Amino acid sequence: MAIVLFRVDERLIHGQVVIGWGHQLWPDRYILVDDELATSDWEQELYQLGAGGAGVVFSTTESARSRIAEWREAGERSILLTRDIDTMRRLAEDGILSGERVNLGGIHHGPGRDEVLNYLHLTAADRESLKAIAAEGVEVSARDLPDSHRVSLQTLLKG
Amino acid sequence: MSRDLPRRVVAATFARSFLIQGSWNYHTMLGSGFAFAMLPGLRRLFGSDPDQMDAAVARHLEHFNAHPYLSNLALGAVLRLEADGSDPEAIRRFKVAVRGPLGSLGDALVWATWLPAVAVLALSLYWLGAPGWAAALFFVLVYNVGHIGLRAWSFRLGLAAGRDVGRHLGKTDLTGWTARLEPVLVGSLGLLVGSALAGRGGLVESGGVWVALAAAGFLVGMFGGHRVWRPAAALTVAAIGLVALFGVWQ
Repeated sequence: MAIVLFRVDERLIHGQVVIGWGHQLWPDRYILVDDELATSDWEQELYQLGAGGAGVVFSTTESARSRIAEWREAGERSILLTRDIDTMRRLAEDGILSGERVNLGGIHHGPGRDEVLNYLHLTAADRESLKAIAAEGVEVSARDLPDSHRVSLQTLLKG
Repeated sequence: MSRDLPRRVVAATFARSFLIQGSWNYHTMLGSGFAFAMLPGLRRLFGSDPDQMDAAVARHLEHFNAHPYLSNLALGAVLRLEADGSDPEAIRRFKVAVRGPLGSLGDALVWATWLPAVAVLALSLYWLGAPGWAAALFFVLVYNVGHIGLRAWSFRLGLAAGRDVGRHLGKTDLTGWTARLEPVLVGSLGLLVGSALAGRGGLVESGGVWVALAAAGFLVGMFGGHRVWRPAAALTVAAIGLVALFGVWQ
């Protein structure tokens, strides 16, 4: 399995991911799945600066769906990141991520978002999307850093 | 729509950037400091319309984090973007994208290299016989040439490049600068160890027990690596506590 982590994180590539997860999983590259980012040069240049020597691949959701199989079989170890829960839901449609684990990292406070954990703030639509991801055979849980406590989807949706 | 920013506004923003950590908090981190520094620019651009002004201040109060010196790069660029009349959502995305690289580049360059290198050099000067005030003055002056220089340079770069700072930052090779500074740090650490051992009032002068203790500590560190740092720190704190208790009891 060459995609070593699927993660939703508003900040995509940043310290927690590169140092926290990167130093446990040693990825060769980060795959950023985001429709807007895939066509934004100036934004791509910024995210490349933060990757600490690893490669960065930018992809739209549609193209990612067709390349998941190729990324899984590749020799390179990848961390796949999306900025929001809805992108991960679209990625997971038709059981494409079935049997995988999706990790929820940081989504910060904003209008219409309730605090579920101190690093995770969800809208009502996010909660529905999380159920939809789980229904595609994916194990969803929250954990900001590899050393911190893993919180199951069931617990997240209770609050 | 692009509007010119008077020098007065640019200078006021730069002056305020020194206080960007002044209201640091866990909720928005540098957010309120960032909004505080943006105020002169926002007043100039939106001051005539209270609703627009409120919205502009509110969007810059949001969560922001980066290295405090390099955050000037974001500050300059966001001032440029606001003056150019950019879409607020694009500005928000810019701030989200820029904080990661500014944080990691700045931490490596300043906290992990520049600060210890200048501090270690100043300490070496002291152990080599310079008066204490001279070593302290050396530290304050040299450190701040780098500190203020970095703030000024990154603010100008941000102001000139706007949202394309990524391309310019990639070319300036801050990582290369960090790599060139590292030998200076390691070299001065060697100088410090040598002067602390053999210099005025140094370890050798203090007597055999201290030399033996220092050698034992060095060996434990060398073979134990990072695994022994927590117990070593606990032991040091316990020892200081015991000495203090003993002092009180006496």
